[in-house]
Amino acid sequence: MTDITASSVPVTDVVPTRSRFSIHIAVFLAPALAIYTLFSIYPLIDTIRLSLYAGDETGARSFVGLQNFYTLLTDPNWSGQFWNAFSNNLIFFAIHMVVQNGIGLGLAMLLSLPRLTGGSVYRTLIFLPTMLSVVIIGFIWQLMLNPLWGIAPSLLKAAGLGSLFGPWLGQESTALLTVSLISVWQFVGIPMMLIYAALLNIPDDLLDAATVDGAGPFSVFWFVRLPLILPTLGVVSVLTFVANFNAFDLIYAIKGALAGPNFSTDILGTFFYRTFFGFQLQVGSPTMGAAVATAMLIIILIGVLIYLFGVQRKLQRHSF
Amino acid sequence: MTIRPGRIAVHIALILYTILALGPIFLILINAFKTRRAIFADPLGLPNGQTWTTIGFDRVFANSDFGLYFFNSLTVTVVSLVLIVLIGAMAAWALTEYRFRGNTLLSLYLAIGIMVPIRLGSVSILRMMVELNLVNTLTALILVYVAQGLPLAILILGEFIQQIPKDLRDAARCDGVSEYRIFFSIILPLISPAIATVAVFTMVPVWNDLWFPLILAPGDGKQTITLGVQQFIGQYVTDWNAVLASLTLAIAPVLVLYLLFSRYLVRGLTAGAVK
Amino acid sequence: MAEVSLHGVAKSFGATEILRDINLSVDDGEFVVFVGPSGCGKSTLLRIIAGLETVSGGEIRIGSQRVNELPPADRKIAMVFQSYALYPHMNVYKNMAFGLKFAKTDKAEADRRVRQAAEILKLTPLLDRKPRELSGGQRQRVAIGRAIVRNPSVFLFDEPLSNLDAALRVNTRLEIAKLHRDLGATMIYVTHDQVEAMTLASKIVVLNQGRIEQVGAPLELYRSPRNLFVAGFIGSPRMNFIKGQVLRVSEEQAIIGFAGTEAAVDVRPGSVKPGDHVTVGIRPEHMEVEGAGSAPLRGTIDAVEQLGESSYVYMRLASGDDVIVRAPGETEATPGGTYTAHVPSRALHVFDAAGLSVLPERS
Repeated sequence: MTDITASSVPVTDVVPTRSRFSIHIAVFLAPALAIYTLFSIYPLIDTIRLSLYAGDETGARSFVGLQNFYTLLTDPNWSGQFWNAFSNNLIFFAIHMVVQNGIGLGLAMLLSLPRLTGGSVYRTLIFLPTMLSVVIIGFIWQLMLNPLWGIAPSLLKAAGLGSLFGPWLGQESTALLTVSLISVWQFVGIPMMLIYAALLNIPDDLLDAATVDGAGPFSVFWFVRLPLILPTLGVVSVLTFVANFNAFDLIYAIKGALAGPNFSTDILGTFFYRTFFGFQLQVGSPTMGAAVATAMLIIILIGVLIYLFGVQRKLQRHSF
Repeated sequence: MTIRPGRIAVHIALILYTILALGPIFLILINAFKTRRAIFADPLGLPNGQTWTTIGFDRVFANSDFGLYFFNSLTVTVVSLVLIVLIGAMAAWALTEYRFRGNTLLSLYLAIGIMVPIRLGSVSILRMMVELNLVNTLTALILVYVAQGLPLAILILGEFIQQIPKDLRDAARCDGVSEYRIFFSIILPLISPAIATVAVFTMVPVWNDLWFPLILAPGDGKQTITLGVQQFIGQYVTDWNAVLASLTLAIAPVLVLYLLFSRYLVRGLTAGAVK
Repeated sequence: MAEVSLHGVAKSFGATEILRDINLSVDDGEFVVFVGPSGCGKSTLLRIIAGLETVSGGEIRIGSQRVNELPPADRKIAMVFQSYALYPHMNVYKNMAFGLKFAKTDKAEADRRVRQAAEILKLTPLLDRKPRELSGGQRQRVAIGRAIVRNPSVFLFDEPLSNLDAALRVNTRLEIAKLHRDLGATMIYVTHDQVEAMTLASKIVVLNQGRIEQVGAPLELYRSPRNLFVAGFIGSPRMNFIKGQVLRVSEEQAIIGFAGTEAAVDVRPGSVKPGDHVTVGIRPEHMEVEGAGSAPLRGTIDAVEQLGESSYVYMRLASGDDVIVRAPGETEATPGGTYTAHVPSRALHVFDAAGLSVLPERS
């Protein structure tokens, strides 16, 4: 701008608005950035930093580099537990991917049928368990499956499957599967809702066009609906992944911090808790806890990055 | 219109799943009002004149501070919610309305919190709270929950603010209204539908959380209801009446609120998925 | 190639009747346009023919076959949707070939048909593109191409031009007309735009509130609308309607009084009697500035729209009726002034109290 324009145009109209703008921006952003940085980002970074230190009984800390991770992955006292928790967590995730998201997809398909009466009632009711605390759900199922109360065995008997019943939560071979299915039962509503919304978003004309083209219900699903909801399935998968590798409450509520029997339901969240706070004879260690948390963070980041760069880019989002 | 047999099968499938989803909760609720004998003799029966009792509830109230836990949860949830909505809306407004250097970078920075669970920073959070002398206070929980809820709130509110016609704020600017007034008297009232959505997304995880109450405020009468129930059941695990009653007390408020506000939640979930 | 016939077709959703007793026959190779205001049931009727909706009653025949129970794919029809309904995840080629896959068409034959259709519609360079990379007009052509490759006996179009801008609409209209000439297939076309109906159709079906109001060639509907609805719907600007009364009736003529003037009109014998209240209809383009022996209408000018080659004069008659007159391009009429238009009695339409035309049938 030249002096001439500055003198002919009222200066106050141009310059101060701009400088005032930046104050506004700062005022609007400051509280959110402060709290978020202080209580979310800083602790995460500080946790990563702590994972590089070791502490002794006096509380003094010394820098040890990657020693904690080395211990975690190779020390027989640690690595067995870590890999056990990790592989249990993978199984936990796999069950969610197949059962939870499979049932969610199926329910969403049914709910998205045209002119379905009572659709919103079903949706609301099926989603209800998702609203309740994981802890409460854990206790509810503990009671349901309790052989003392006998609801599950008597229901199974009524269905002619009485012989199938066992103390599922107490047996090493079935505990992880049972806990996973309880979690699936609670959270099926989330994939159901997300996929339902994606299916609704597909214009009816497109499905009609496929029908006119001669595609039967199965072909319409396979060739038209499924490809069009792939991006949503991607989102559902990554949400499931993050939630599963961060899970804790359910197992803590049902099986306690020891994730029994014999650590068969131990996942990374419970392992982290035990490491941090200690259990029985082992003393809690903030620095080893930080190392476990950092390992979890890395696992989650790898998952998210695979999704962002490997999956999401390939899944074209369609606007209709 | 004739009802096709296929439709009937669909309804049967949906009804069966609904029963599976609600049955366990329903059983807890009805058995909470039955005598111990009836709980075991006839678990599927509704309470009747002979089996009706509220002894479980009496014991819960006699042996624990349920009212206090409930009040703690309510305080934490409501205060967190108000802060998240207000602070989040301010930030969302700044990020969507103004073009400035670092805008995209800041948005990305805030988005980290959507994917990375704040739980993983617990070691440092606890250390900080110890240093700040906030252990066993509700303030500690509120601060953490606000930090946890902000990213998603900013995302949802930002998308909503974008849909508000630009002309509206430009008209206000032409009238000489300050940026602050534009935000507080024009934008904030207009995004109330989104606030409902954010509220549901924020309240549920806060109300239900076990982890942070367990770590940051496990005692001193600062337990939230989730933790309170967990501790109570751990103690009275063999007292079926009391266990069922405490579960019922924990379920009931959420149940009522959910049935009242479910349409906001459904709308929020479906709108969110479109993006 | 095939003819389509509907016998007593009815459709209701719950208690709402969408269509009532629709009887219609479409000859082989005919271009039939369903036209009517939104909600009149025209799209539902098209979807019933396609097999996308079931009927509550009546019979649909395509060719000589009853098709009520046949799924869409077996009806030898193809449909072009208003939204084009292109599969967003498939390229142009796959979009067009999709239906052939289910028709179990041999691969080489399918390829030949797709390429031929692409050639006709000038889509060959675009075959690898996804729908989102195409313009509105190109998408429209893909949608038509998808219909062509199926080699259907009957083409169904559901408001195919409504998403295009004005210039493209005229162009595509001409292309569709050309396609009809080239293919010679039966086409059924739904629109709410009476201009599209007039220009494309060999036969127009006017629908209103789930019933057929009139069926006929475009000019037949323009010249002899059977009732007030068709009279008002066909023609633009709309026909003027003025309240009138029958003054005298002779053998085949009636003298109708309206807006302070009167005119002698040929009527069907016995259709009216003196004293009957009637509605007089007159198209804006049929009013004349000067006319000997025709009824004059005088009024105050409300507004004048000058279009160049002609102008529209909006005036209010002393009787209180509002009337539009098409005047020559260079009229001297100005708002506030008075204007006189002449109504030749041969251009008058007269409708009885029930809204039915009382003019003699023209053959």
